[in-house]
Amino acid sequence: MAEPVLELRNVSRRYRVSGEKSLFGKTFDAVRDVSLKVMPGETFGIVGESGCGKTTLARMIMCLERPSSGEIWLHGRRIDNLSESARRALRPRFQMVFQDSGSSLNPRKRVEDILREPMLYHHVGDAKQVDGRVDALMDMVGLPLEMKKRYPHEFSGGQRQRVCIARALSLNPDVLVLDEPVSALDVSVQAQILNLLRDLQEKMGLTYVFIGHGLGAVHYMSHQIAVMYMGRVVETGPSDTLFNRPAHPYTKALLDAAPTADDTLRNRKRVELSGEIEEADGEASCPLLPRCPFSRENCRHDGLTLKEADGRMTACARILELDGKQACGSTF
Amino acid sequence: MEPLLQIDNLEITFGRGKDASRAVDGVSFCVWPGEVLGVVGESGSGKSVTALSVMGLLSRQGRVTGGKILFQGKDLLTMTPETLDTLRGVEIGMIFQDIMYSLNPVLTIGKQMTEGMRRHLRMDAAAASARAVELLTRTGIRDAAQVMKKYPHQLSGGMRQRVMIAMALACRPKLLIADEPTTALDVTIQMQIMQLLRGLQRETGMAILLITHDLGIVAELADRAVVMYAGQCVEEAPVHELLTDPAHAYTRALMQAVPGLHDSREKRLYSIPGRVPELYGDIRGCRFAERCAYAADCAYKNDAAMRQIAGKHYSRCDLRGEATLLG
Repeated sequence: MAEPVLELRNVSRRYRVSGEKSLFGKTFDAVRDVSLKVMPGETFGIVGESGCGKTTLARMIMCLERPSSGEIWLHGRRIDNLSESARRALRPRFQMVFQDSGSSLNPRKRVEDILREPMLYHHVGDAKQVDGRVDALMDMVGLPLEMKKRYPHEFSGGQRQRVCIARALSLNPDVLVLDEPVSALDVSVQAQILNLLRDLQEKMGLTYVFIGHGLGAVHYMSHQIAVMYMGRVVETGPSDTLFNRPAHPYTKALLDAAPTADDTLRNRKRVELSGEIEEADGEASCPLLPRCPFSRENCRHDGLTLKEADGRMTACARILELDGKQACGSTF
Repeated sequence: MEPLLQIDNLEITFGRGKDASRAVDGVSFCVWPGEVLGVVGESGSGKSVTALSVMGLLSRQGRVTGGKILFQGKDLLTMTPETLDTLRGVEIGMIFQDIMYSLNPVLTIGKQMTEGMRRHLRMDAAAASARAVELLTRTGIRDAAQVMKKYPHQLSGGMRQRVMIAMALACRPKLLIADEPTTALDVTIQMQIMQLLRGLQRETGMAILLITHDLGIVAELADRAVVMYAGQCVEEAPVHELLTDPAHAYTRALMQAVPGLHDSREKRLYSIPGRVPELYGDIRGCRFAERCAYAADCAYKNDAAMRQIAGKHYSRCDLRGEATLLG
């Protein structure tokens, strides 16, 4: 089997909460003990609600943030403890595309200069080669060449996101971290960008880490998916397995909560979570315990370790036990 | 039966002279008592300005340049500000997408909750406060009495939207206008709010005008739906009919451009080429034509007027039964 391009080993990130007066301060664990492997040429999708730690995870992969513990490996090389200069040298290998294309492009620069900048910074060829590459990039992401002299504000949201993708590709990276790349776009434009990303992946053999909250889009993009809740991965595996036969109550609840125009799904039996995100008591307790309709005494000390169940890894296989078909939950 | 709200040939223009842009151009639809009408469209379709104009809340740049908005037969556009004021917040309630900025940050929830009731229903402080607690409890807030003493920033997004809903319902409106009520919320909270809205609607019998960009939300909540594109209504139908047998090319494209929950990587997603047109000057014929996969041999290109195609089903073109679009 191929080696993973990117591997996270027991990665955690703890923040100190400001404004606390006690001597040691209060801490918040944004990401807890996350391990995952991303295979070459594949898309690894990460889903979860706000505050689940998915963006912190992306920032750690990009070395914009150091893990409090754990290791991150890229191409068999540990990257989380690299010095500033070593990280900079490695930067062309992995790039990121953000949700807000408006604020991630310099408004005072023409698009051609925005695309040129990374190449000049990393000295990849002379001025002529760079200019040729700018044209090739514009073409690659489907932007007309005559638009390269324009400024970001003259572009629509979808076009700006194309510029961001072109910039991320300018140094020929092999890993692209996509943090909600279509969330800010109109529905009709989302499909254009998703298809563009898939075409580029196929053509260039790119590896993606795709973070999103639109479940349909994540499924459409990803080979593997990890579902996160309160900083932990609760279930991970092949995307079809996870989405068509979820094992964890949270995965099921997330899928069931997604509004759908599909008439056949509208009256499906759904798992509902009560209340809002809250911390469960006890270190070993399942994080979903306070909201889960299937909780039992056992969940107080078992619900953290991922175990193999029916082709995926999950912290809880309650939905499979209850049998998805005769289905748990109520109709809406 | 008389419609509760009737929007008739509404026209809203932003800017003047050469820069004038008709954001809403001849929109007509009705909301019947007790029904949930969903208005779907992307940004720039005119759905939100239409809703804002009902409440008389258009920004200074935008103005109604034609048409009527009748509420229980009375034209809201020609009403004096005083009469409008007695309708707003009493007969018509509104909740917004922006839960951050829709509550006053320096007043307690209790103060904001009771303000409308004291003013419009002339309730005394104690009665208003008792009713506020009752309403908050009804929207699923535990220890409502405690929440009354809090400020907006102390509440989560889901809680703030519950407070907004409770506030909008305070004077028992006949019509609730909900502009993207769940867009800012996480999916599991979104479902809770949708269930709450549906429960309250059944219980009180009020009508809801639901504005959203998400066909899924319309599918879950609405009885009937209007699809808007580039400042016009393009299709109107009972929700089930719209979803199972869409007639307009845009509705069909929109449905196929959204990846379904269980669509895997195998199938390529249809993507609508191009972008929403600018709305300057006079636009003739079908506004979706240049992005439409069926435009080549289309019988409706030059005469794309709204027409009845079945019982309660209206559309500007009729592609029912056509094969699905491929990516």
